[in-house]
Amino acid sequence: MNAFNRRDFLKGCCVTALAAGTGSRARAYFAPPPLLPATATDDTLVVVFLRGAMDGLSLLPPGSASPYRADYEASRTNTRVPLSGTGAALALANTTWALHPRATGLRALYQAGHAAFVVAAGQVQPNPVVRSHFEAQSNLEFGIGGGGGNGIGWLTRHLVSGGLPANVPLPAASMGSITANSLLGSSDAITMNSGSDFRLDTFHWSWQNDDAAHGLVGGVSRMNALWGSNATLLERAGMETLDSLALLRPIDFNPYDAANNPDGYQPTGGANYALANNGGFGTQLRNVAQMIKLNLGLRAVTIDLGNWDTHVGQGNPTQSYDWFGNQVESLSQGLSAFYTDLSTAASGNLMQRVSVIVVSEFGRRVLENSDGGTDHGYGNVITVLGGAVNGGHVYGTYPGLASGELYEGNDVAVTTDYRQVISEALIRRMGNPNIYYAFPGYSGYAPLGIFQGADLPPSGFDQIFKNGFEAA
Amino acid sequence: MASAPASAAFNAARRRLFDAVFAAVAPSIDPQLSRRRPGRDGLFDDIPESPEALTSPPAPVRWLVRATCGYSTLELIAFEALGSTDDARWQAWVARQLAPAAIDDSGCDSLLASAGFTTLDKTPEQLWAAREAIGNSNYYQRMLPIAETECATLIRQLHSQRQLFEVMASFWHDHFSVFGWDYDGGPLFPPFDRDAIRPNVFGNFRTMLQATCESAAMMYMLDLYTSYSGHPNENYARELMELHTLGAENYAGIVDDPDDDPSLPTYIDWQGKIQRLQYVDDDVYEAARVLTGWTISQSTWETRNDPNPGAFEYVQALHDAGVKRVLHRNFSAGGGQNDGTLLFDMLAQHPGTAHFIAGKLCRRFIGDVVPDSLVQAAADLFHQQWQAPDQIAQVVAFILHSNEFKTGWGTKMKSPARSVVSALRATLANFTPVPDNSPTYTPTEELVGRLQAAGQRLFYWPAPNGYPDTITAWSSTGALGLTLKLLPRLLEMHQTESYNNAYPFIVDVQGQTLGAFPNAADRTASNVIGYWCDRLLGYRPQPTFGVALDFFRQEAAASDPLDLVTDSTDNGQPQHVGVWHLNPPNTLSKHYTIARLRVAIGLLLCSPEFLRR
Repeated sequence: MNAFNRRDFLKGCCVTALAAGTGSRARAYFAPPPLLPATATDDTLVVVFLRGAMDGLSLLPPGSASPYRADYEASRTNTRVPLSGTGAALALANTTWALHPRATGLRALYQAGHAAFVVAAGQVQPNPVVRSHFEAQSNLEFGIGGGGGNGIGWLTRHLVSGGLPANVPLPAASMGSITANSLLGSSDAITMNSGSDFRLDTFHWSWQNDDAAHGLVGGVSRMNALWGSNATLLERAGMETLDSLALLRPIDFNPYDAANNPDGYQPTGGANYALANNGGFGTQLRNVAQMIKLNLGLRAVTIDLGNWDTHVGQGNPTQSYDWFGNQVESLSQGLSAFYTDLSTAASGNLMQRVSVIVVSEFGRRVLENSDGGTDHGYGNVITVLGGAVNGGHVYGTYPGLASGELYEGNDVAVTTDYRQVISEALIRRMGNPNIYYAFPGYSGYAPLGIFQGADLPPSGFDQIFKNGFEAA
Repeated sequence: MASAPASAAFNAARRRLFDAVFAAVAPSIDPQLSRRRPGRDGLFDDIPESPEALTSPPAPVRWLVRATCGYSTLELIAFEALGSTDDARWQAWVARQLAPAAIDDSGCDSLLASAGFTTLDKTPEQLWAAREAIGNSNYYQRMLPIAETECATLIRQLHSQRQLFEVMASFWHDHFSVFGWDYDGGPLFPPFDRDAIRPNVFGNFRTMLQATCESAAMMYMLDLYTSYSGHPNENYARELMELHTLGAENYAGIVDDPDDDPSLPTYIDWQGKIQRLQYVDDDVYEAARVLTGWTISQSTWETRNDPNPGAFEYVQALHDAGVKRVLHRNFSAGGGQNDGTLLFDMLAQHPGTAHFIAGKLCRRFIGDVVPDSLVQAAADLFHQQWQAPDQIAQVVAFILHSNEFKTGWGTKMKSPARSVVSALRATLANFTPVPDNSPTYTPTEELVGRLQAAGQRLFYWPAPNGYPDTITAWSSTGALGLTLKLLPRLLEMHQTESYNNAYPFIVDVQGQTLGAFPNAADRTASNVIGYWCDRLLGYRPQPTFGVALDFFRQEAAASDPLDLVTDSTDNGQPQHVGVWHLNPPNTLSKHYTIARLRVAIGLLLCSPEFLRR
């Protein structure tokens, strides 16, 4: 097996050799070794995207001792999380913020010091408040301060600059049917809705698989010959797809069942991924945990949880109709199962090297609307989870809920740029100092102290291209 | 704890993945290298977009692949009869397709009738009443309207003679995308397809725009039904501008005092008034005010006693009567429902709308990136003809007769839904999808389930921006992988009960092959695979033809006849596989030959040539 070290390959003569071929301009621009971090870790970063603008003010409402409680109650009636009685918010240590009552799993993780929240977080560039879901999601995920740029996501740029070793089978996964924008452009990422879906098994059984004893080469193996011509992008995409299918083929992603599936996956620690709502989210988290335990080298994962766009009928936890609460419960139970499963792995507490960051494209308006819901807002809550997280704290500076303190008089303002939270994870957990490459246009790295790990001087590739990017 | 498998395939796979990783390391900021540089994809910058080495099918095949729901030999035969040169035939074909009412579609109509749909002809009021009556008691019955619409659409895509119409109906459904399985909106879906979209597919955009707005399915999708004076709901107004008309390409963001901002260009509209060329956030808020009071009867407390529950209703008392300002134009106080109709006029005739939609149309038919000169020419036509009853037909004709359309190839790929429909059309599948509530696992259920896994079940996209339309999206590993998984399965599925061998296949491979080669001596691998290559692809490209041929013939010569008749039986029932023949070497060519042919055709369906367009 070719066990070349990727860094050596890149800094050695191979770069020059490649520079002589077609596309030599590309390789010649490749950054020299000092910008490839020797500090890269094998941690995993899981980015959960709450699609539809999660109402952070309901996930993390002001508690009884909070100076913002009165303004909160003046603005929220039908969507209010109360402080007492049925549906009362859960008190949190070290803060006057409280937690939605149906996030019991997240609360336990917070109290144990493994979860943290960042308030008044969001996007600040370039048009700060973009109220379109798609555009705001796109801005956040492409991470260039607005717009889709050249269609490459921030997580792709992190992977590309983050010192990925050669012998890593499955560096990145985008859980879903279509690649998340943050991983767009990455040839490292496998996009899949569920691990167990992802295999070729539909040819007739008689000619599907190989039978070496009889010299039979089946349909699945023949596929490579169809796609190997390298003629266009489509063929390349096909080969990548077939490679990914081959990698995952031997793995049984279905849950363990003593009678029907004894080789299936058994979560440890009693972790229960079966969610009452948003079942796919639980399944995907379980698949990701399984892939992490299999040591496939997973470095970056994106998972989506939708149904947060509560313009109408958001509900509240005092009544049986509590749409938002259902969503919170799915998020909390799912992440809780994930944490339990990985922290009790046979090989040790794997959550020590897994960090979960939960983002949403923007928050929701402080004053609720007349449809029992809330409209698009701005500042929101980012949730962070991991074994190497300084949990049990709420980070960020809160701008306040009085009308004079609101952005444009309507929304929670943003005081913490989402890139500040993510770049701290990239440096302290992933060991990648190239945060200004992951987020072009971002500057002034200032860790909030959410993540454990050593700080590195932040950098990017920009010193090479400080005079622009035109061909020499 | 299991570690990564270390087979040869795994190691080879990892080397290829690494290779791709290295190729991806080149800096992404240089636009020459970017993955999304127009006309290019991937950081594999030494891979040409449409290289000369790429063989392409004959022109008629290319055009029919792009302008129908799926190429088939029958389409080609009908095409060839339309004239004496390809160009003349194409003129005739397009003209015929653009007058769908004159095309005899009785075959498809019979299939639709045989499906026994019960909800598709119901009025909005009837569907509303049915939904209210069913309530939470029976999910299947409640959602039957959307389930039947899904099946009827598939039947038309598979069997209608009005293929260009179905291609464009699909386009408009993506443009005005409504999630069909919304719990409240799904039961009301059929009129959206039947009355708002389909009558206007080749017609007038302005007409379609207002019709989609007034449809209950769209009202629920974008919350317009609950927008009223003092509490306007901005959701519909935003998507109206961002997705339905001007497009995000014409969005200028949040601008204070936009009408006084010199950096925002204006133009003179059809009424001689100044309009802004780009929209800003204030326009969205004002447009939301314009459309207050546009609702569905009995959908809210305020309309709870109104007549015709479920029908569109404009409620003056809920309309914001104040002065409004959208795109620099003044809406005087007391405009009533005319505020809304004026807004639709403004947006339909806006040159930004023309450019946005022309761009989407060009990209649907030609390539992921199209020269802006073509887009602008199509946009100019769209704009000039904004009041013409055949506006869309004119623009579609313009695009289909463009040089870019006629000479292009390989710059798009089939999305999963299109791959499936074109596979079933090319193989002349005998398949009439119908909803089913029995315990039986039907081929319809299997098909929609697998299509959902591949990411493109019909009317299943949750956001109003519709399914993407680019190679980038559909060549992602999950979508392409699950499409490759789905396509061979089509040849193994059975009527009535998908996994039950007692029922006929939905695709009769054996029957069609024996019919094409009645003389057993002619059933050579070369003939049979060549035949199916022609059927599915319209030509015999390498390496695909060679791979399928070598697989099918095994150790036999390409010119040796193969036995496609002798079959195994189980309790007297034919198994449709052939006979087991893993005896001493050199007899794989006799091993389960009937099944092997289906696998070979599956390989053809999984080829890049089949997925390219």
